[in-house]
Amino acid sequence: MIDCDIHPQIGDPEELLAHVEEAQREWFRGQPYFGLPGYSWTHPSSWYRQDLAADGRPPGSDAEAVQRELLDPSGTTAGVLNADDAVLVSLMPSPYRAAALARAHNDWIRESWLERDERLRGAIVCPAQDPEAAVREIERVAEDPRFVQVLLCGGSERPYGEPRYLPIFEAAAGFGLPVAIHSGGEGMGIAAAPGGAGPVTFYIEWHTLGSACSTMAHLVSLLVHGTFERLPALKVLLIEGGIAWLPGILWRLDTNWRALRADTPWLERKPSEVAREHVRFSTQPLEHTDGRDELLWEMLEAAGAPDVLCFASDYPHWDFDDPAFMLKRLPEEWRERVLHDNAAALYGERLGLVAA
Amino acid sequence: MSWHDVGSLSDLEREGRVIGRVDGREVGVVRSGGELHGVRNRCPHHGGPLCLGTVEERLVGEPGSYDLTGITVLRCPWHGWEFDPTTGSCLDDPALRVAVYPAKAADGRVLVDL
Repeated sequence: MIDCDIHPQIGDPEELLAHVEEAQREWFRGQPYFGLPGYSWTHPSSWYRQDLAADGRPPGSDAEAVQRELLDPSGTTAGVLNADDAVLVSLMPSPYRAAALARAHNDWIRESWLERDERLRGAIVCPAQDPEAAVREIERVAEDPRFVQVLLCGGSERPYGEPRYLPIFEAAAGFGLPVAIHSGGEGMGIAAAPGGAGPVTFYIEWHTLGSACSTMAHLVSLLVHGTFERLPALKVLLIEGGIAWLPGILWRLDTNWRALRADTPWLERKPSEVAREHVRFSTQPLEHTDGRDELLWEMLEAAGAPDVLCFASDYPHWDFDDPAFMLKRLPEEWRERVLHDNAAALYGERLGLVAA
Repeated sequence: MSWHDVGSLSDLEREGRVIGRVDGREVGVVRSGGELHGVRNRCPHHGGPLCLGTVEERLVGEPGSYDLTGITVLRCPWHGWEFDPTTGSCLDDPALRVAVYPAKAADGRVLVDL
């Protein structure tokens, strides 16, 4: 089993701050939560699974906890550590602080996590609001083969197909790294409002719409800008934005592509075909269907499943998908590909587990 | 049916629940309306350890208002789905029900009947 989305929590702020250059350390120490943008919409009780013991620290704040509570019981052979709130560096008003924190977080992941369990892999955090600095950070960290993807957050100033972001995707593709876009941060810091109709009111709205809408927007944007035609080696993994909507948005985009070619004449192929080749989707949180799972599988097949789906648990968050439960829920003939092979192919040699 | 010891009453009062194993099944006991209720420790939604969730009062309200109901719910620690520990019903999905068992306290111990 390969898990594309594990969130390492920061148990001891000083352990992270030790990796910030000395001249900036006091600034970060003095800010609420390292100066990352605060959440205007929060879970009514807890972001975390409430059954996890934590001893006053966030659950999942060291490699031993992840081993005990996730990797060992599930038989996970590789798990990718995606920064939790620290991915929101891209939404900080200051690109300079963002670059410093991204750098520190990547080094903290290397030292405090990757060194402690060979099943763990890293995701490179970078400041998307300053693409040149982001590229420098990708180049610095990608030398370590244990980092298997570049990580961006769903919240953004503009959709990621915009030319300003192209150098980030170019750098990732150059190293053979997929770019993972993880929902979150919509409406925070310098990000656009979540949901597409102005700021929402409740966390339930944010969690329903913010993540799905930003994921859809980045998917469509990357496709219509011809990003994958420019960068044929590029793969993108969209994490935690839902998937039941996928066939609908691709049908809609294909329909518009046929009618509106003049707007983006560089698109020579049906966008859904390009998506099948270049874009992967994490399964979590797999929509609850009120007993209509067969319908969900059929719809997803129309969008390229099971080959476009990769398992993710989202440990230790409240809406995580349990590996054992997913093993039973997925159609039997999908399991091997969704739980292992698709991610092995996506991450390639860096994972050391190439699909059969 | 027979009574099984699943923990101490003092643990239940301190932690809000006790959980024991009976015939290979994990069963928890929580308090609702002053009475003890046994609940299987497996959420019918996703398989989570339901009895490690919070025991709390269910909210209702007209749009824009929030009112307490006096109804005790057991809220799953994973995804937060709410169950009535007296009947096992999921309050927001009639298709889901968790097994519930009679429970009582005797000599400082908590017992369930199954």
